[in-house]
Amino acid sequence: MSKLKKVPLAIWGFLASIGGFFAEFGRAFAKGDIFVKLSVIWWGAGYIRRKQYVKGLIMTALEVAIILFSVLFAPQYVSKFGTLGTVQYSTHLDPTTFQMVPNDYDNSFLILLLSLMSFVVWAFALVVLLKNVINVYNLQKRAESGAHVNTFIEDVKTYLDSKFHITLLTLPVIGIVVFTVIPILLLIFVAFTNYDQNHMPPNQLFQWVGFANFKSLFSSGLTSTFSYAFGRILGWTLVWAFFATFTTYFGGILMSLLLNSKKTVVPKLWRLLLVITIAVPQFVSLLLVRYFFANDGIVNTICENIGLTALLRDWGVINTTFIPFLSAPIWAHVTIIIINIWIGVPYQMLIATGILMNLPSDQLESARIDGANKFQVFRYITMPYMFQVTAPTLVTDFVKNINNFNVIFLLTDGVYTTTNTKLAASFAKETDLLITWLFNLTQNYYNYKMAAVIGIMVFLICAVFTLIAFNFLISGDKEGVYN
Amino acid sequence: MKKFLVILLCLAMVLSLAACGGNGDNKTPGGNENTPGGNENTPGGNENTPGGNENPGNNDTPAGPNPPAHDGPVKLMVWGAEEDQDLLKTLIDEFKAQYPDFTFDITIGVESEATAKDTVLTDPEAAADVYAFANDQIDALVKAGALMNLSETAAQALPVFSGKNLDDVVAANGEGSIVACTRNNSLYALPFGGGNNYFLFYDSSVISAEQAGSWEAMLDAAQAAGKKVGMVFASGWYNAGFFLGAGFSVALQDDGSTKIDWNGTSAQGVKGTDVVKAMQTIASHPAFMAVPDNGLSNAIAGGNLAAVIDGTWDAGACRDLWGDGYAATKLPTFKAGDKDIQMGCFSGFKLMAVNQYTKEAGWAIALAEYLTNESSQVARFNARQLPPSNKVAAADPAVTENIAAAASAEQDVYGYEQSVGDTYWDPCATFGEQIVQGKMATDDAGIQQVLDDLVATIGTPVA
Repeated sequence: MSKLKKVPLAIWGFLASIGGFFAEFGRAFAKGDIFVKLSVIWWGAGYIRRKQYVKGLIMTALEVAIILFSVLFAPQYVSKFGTLGTVQYSTHLDPTTFQMVPNDYDNSFLILLLSLMSFVVWAFALVVLLKNVINVYNLQKRAESGAHVNTFIEDVKTYLDSKFHITLLTLPVIGIVVFTVIPILLLIFVAFTNYDQNHMPPNQLFQWVGFANFKSLFSSGLTSTFSYAFGRILGWTLVWAFFATFTTYFGGILMSLLLNSKKTVVPKLWRLLLVITIAVPQFVSLLLVRYFFANDGIVNTICENIGLTALLRDWGVINTTFIPFLSAPIWAHVTIIIINIWIGVPYQMLIATGILMNLPSDQLESARIDGANKFQVFRYITMPYMFQVTAPTLVTDFVKNINNFNVIFLLTDGVYTTTNTKLAASFAKETDLLITWLFNLTQNYYNYKMAAVIGIMVFLICAVFTLIAFNFLISGDKEGVYN
Repeated sequence: MKKFLVILLCLAMVLSLAACGGNGDNKTPGGNENTPGGNENTPGGNENTPGGNENPGNNDTPAGPNPPAHDGPVKLMVWGAEEDQDLLKTLIDEFKAQYPDFTFDITIGVESEATAKDTVLTDPEAAADVYAFANDQIDALVKAGALMNLSETAAQALPVFSGKNLDDVVAANGEGSIVACTRNNSLYALPFGGGNNYFLFYDSSVISAEQAGSWEAMLDAAQAAGKKVGMVFASGWYNAGFFLGAGFSVALQDDGSTKIDWNGTSAQGVKGTDVVKAMQTIASHPAFMAVPDNGLSNAIAGGNLAAVIDGTWDAGACRDLWGDGYAATKLPTFKAGDKDIQMGCFSGFKLMAVNQYTKEAGWAIALAEYLTNESSQVARFNARQLPPSNKVAAADPAVTENIAAAASAEQDVYGYEQSVGDTYWDPCATFGEQIVQGKMATDDAGIQQVLDDLVATIGTPVA
C-alpha cells in the first residue's frame, strides 16, 4: 500500500511546481520597478530599459502578432464555440453563372478545431507573459547588482552554448504540440459532442451533448448494447494483452536459452530464420496466415484429409464441416494468441539474448558447484535477474499490446463474423480490442463521438496501468537481492 | 560541427513527425491527365449571340449547347474505377470535342465504386466534381449532403450546357435505376449501369438448367458430383434475398434506423419462421458451402464449386473455372412451409454523382450527363461487360446475349430497391452467421424470438 501512495505524491509534486511558477511571477511583479510592471502590457518595456533593444523589438513583435491573431482571426470561431455553429448549410444554383452559391454557413468541425488552436495560442501567450515578467525582473536585479547585462549577440551565443538544450527542444516541442497534443485535445472535445453520421459537417451541424455519450457507453438494454460490448471487449483486451506479453516474453527467453545452449547445432542458422520473420512485414505474413486458417483454407483442408475434422465432430467439439480456427469465439482467441507467439518471439528472443549475456557468471558458477540442476538455475537465478532488468519493458509491452491493432485486425477482418446479436448491434466482435472496435466505428460508421469516448477510455486504462505498474516496480530496493 | 549535426537530427525528427501526420493519399490518382492545350479559345467568347444565354428555364425547346463564357480553363476532377480509366479518358476526350470554344483541365483519379462513399465523406469539399459510386451508398451520401440535388440544378443547367432535357435523360433509363437515384422525390445521381445485383452462376455439366431452378434439386445434384454450392449467408445483402422473395420488406426510416417485418407474415402469406427454417435446411446440407463476405473470389478460385450465387463482377472468374459449362440464370426457388418461393434480391446500380460542393456546377452536370448517356453506356458495356441502365442500350443484342447480363436482368424482375440504414448490416450478418454455424434455435418459438430481436435491434437508431 505504501507504494500506491507514491502516485498522489508525484502528482502533488507536479502541481507544486506549477504553483511555484505562479508564485515567482507574483513576486517579480510585486518587487519589480515600473518597467517590470509595464511589461505586462508592453512586453518589450523591460528590455528596452535595460538597453536590450533587439530583444525588446522581438517581444513587441510577438505581442503584436498575438493581438492581431486574437482580434482578426480568433473571434469568428471562438464566439461560436459555445454553440458550435447555428447556421446550417444551404445552397442554390445561380441561373446566370451556373455556379452553386452557398449561404454563410457554420462548419462545426472548423469552429471546434480553430477555437482549440486559439485556446492553445492564448495559453502560450499567457505563459510567455508570465515568463517575460520574471525574466525582466531578473534582468533588473542583475542590472542593479552591477552584473553585466548581455547584449543580443551574447544572448544568442548562450543559446548555442549553455542553453543549447532550449534551442534544440524548440522545434520538437512545437511539433509535438501541433501534431500530437492538439489532435488529442480535439478528439477529447469530440467525445462530448454528437459528431456522427447524422451530424456531418459541412452540411450539418453538431452540438455539445455533455456526458450523454459516456452514459450510452455504460448503459445496457436489448437495443442499446454499448455497455455490454464495452465490458466484453475490455475483458478480452486485458486477457489478450496479458497472454500476448507473457507468452512472447517467456517464449523469447526459452528460445534464446535454447539457441545459446551448447547442445544446439548451427545456432546461427536458426537465429537467422527467426529473425527473417521479423523482416517480413506483418501486413504480408498475417494476411496470408489469415487465409491459411480460413474456413476453406489450407489448414482446414489438411485437417479434413487426415480425419481430424471428423474426429472433432464426433467428439462434439465442433458442429460444422470445418474447424473454425478464426471464425468461432474461443477458437479464434486461442489461434490469435498462438499466431502472435510466432510473430513476437523472435523479437523478444533478440532482447533476451542481449540481457542474458550480462547474467553474472559467478552466480551461475556457484550454483553449479552447489549441485543445482538446470531447472533450479533457471528458476532461482535466471528468471529473477531477467525480471529485474526487463520489468519496465514488460509494462511497456503490456500497454503496447492493449493497442496491438495489426495482429487482431489483419487476422479477423473479413473472416470473422460474430454470432452474438448484442455485439453486432454495437458493431463489435468477440475478437475485437478496444482499438479495433474504435477503428470499425470510425471507418465504417463515421460514429466519431463513440470512437472518441472509447479512445478516452483506452487512454485512461493505459495510464492507470502504467502509473500503478511503474510505482510497484521502481522501488529501488531490489537490486542484487536473490533468493 | 557536432552541434550542427545535432540540430540536423532534431529537424529530421520534427519533420518526420509532420510526415506521419496525414492519412497518406486516399485518392490514388493513378491515371491523372491534364489536357490543357487541346482546344482553342476563340477570343471574344462564343459564336452565339453575345450578351446573354438562352432562357435557361425553357425546358420545352432546348436550343443546343450554349454554355456561358468561362475565364480560363474549366477545371474538373473525375473519379472512376481502375478498370474504367482508359474508357474515361476516351469519353472525356469526346466530351471536350463537343465544346471547341472552351479549354478544359480535367483530371481523372482512381476510386473504386464500392468505396467512393468513404473517400468522399472524409472531406466532401475536396472530393471530385463527378464520381461513380454503387447505389448502396446513396443514403449515406444524401444524408451527409454530398450529392447535388439534380432535380433542381440539372433541370436548369442541362438545356444550357448540353442542349438536353432532364426529363428526357431520366426517361431514357430503366425505372429501377431511376428509383435508386431518387430520394425524397428528388434526383441525386444519374445511373449508368445496372446488373449490380446477384444471381446464380452454375456449371451446366454438373447441374442441369432445370435443377438450377430450385435449391433442393441443385444441392442434391452438386452432392452427387462431389461438388458444392456456395452462397454468402453472413451478409445482409445476400441473405435478405430469401425474405424479399417471400414478400417481406426492408425500408430506411428518417431517423436512420431500418424497418423490417421479417418476424411476421409477409404479404404473400409466408411466415418469417418458415423462411428461416428453409435457410437452416439449406445451410445444413452437406453440399452447401457458406462463403464469408468478400470471400467469393477465393471460393471460386478454390475450384470446388458447381454453383455460386454471385454478381456480374465475377463472371470472368466463373467462366475460367467452368469453361464450356459456364451458365447463369436467375436465383433458384426455396421451399418455405409448403410453398416454393422465388428468391428476390437487392437491385444494384452504378450511379454517377455530381458533388454538391463543386466549383463548376454547370460543367460538372454536363459532364456527368455525357458520361452516362446512351453511347457512353454502350462503350462501357463493350469494355467492361457492365449491363447498361439505358433502355435502348440494354435491348441491344450484344447485351441480351451476354450470359451474365441476361441472368442479371432476368433476376432483376424480382429485385427490390436497396434503402437501408447503418444498423442493418452487422446484425443481419450475425443472423446469417448464426444460421451457418448452426447456433440458432430450430423450433418455432426460438426462431420467432431471434427474429423479434433482429427487428428490434435493426429498428433502433444508432446511439
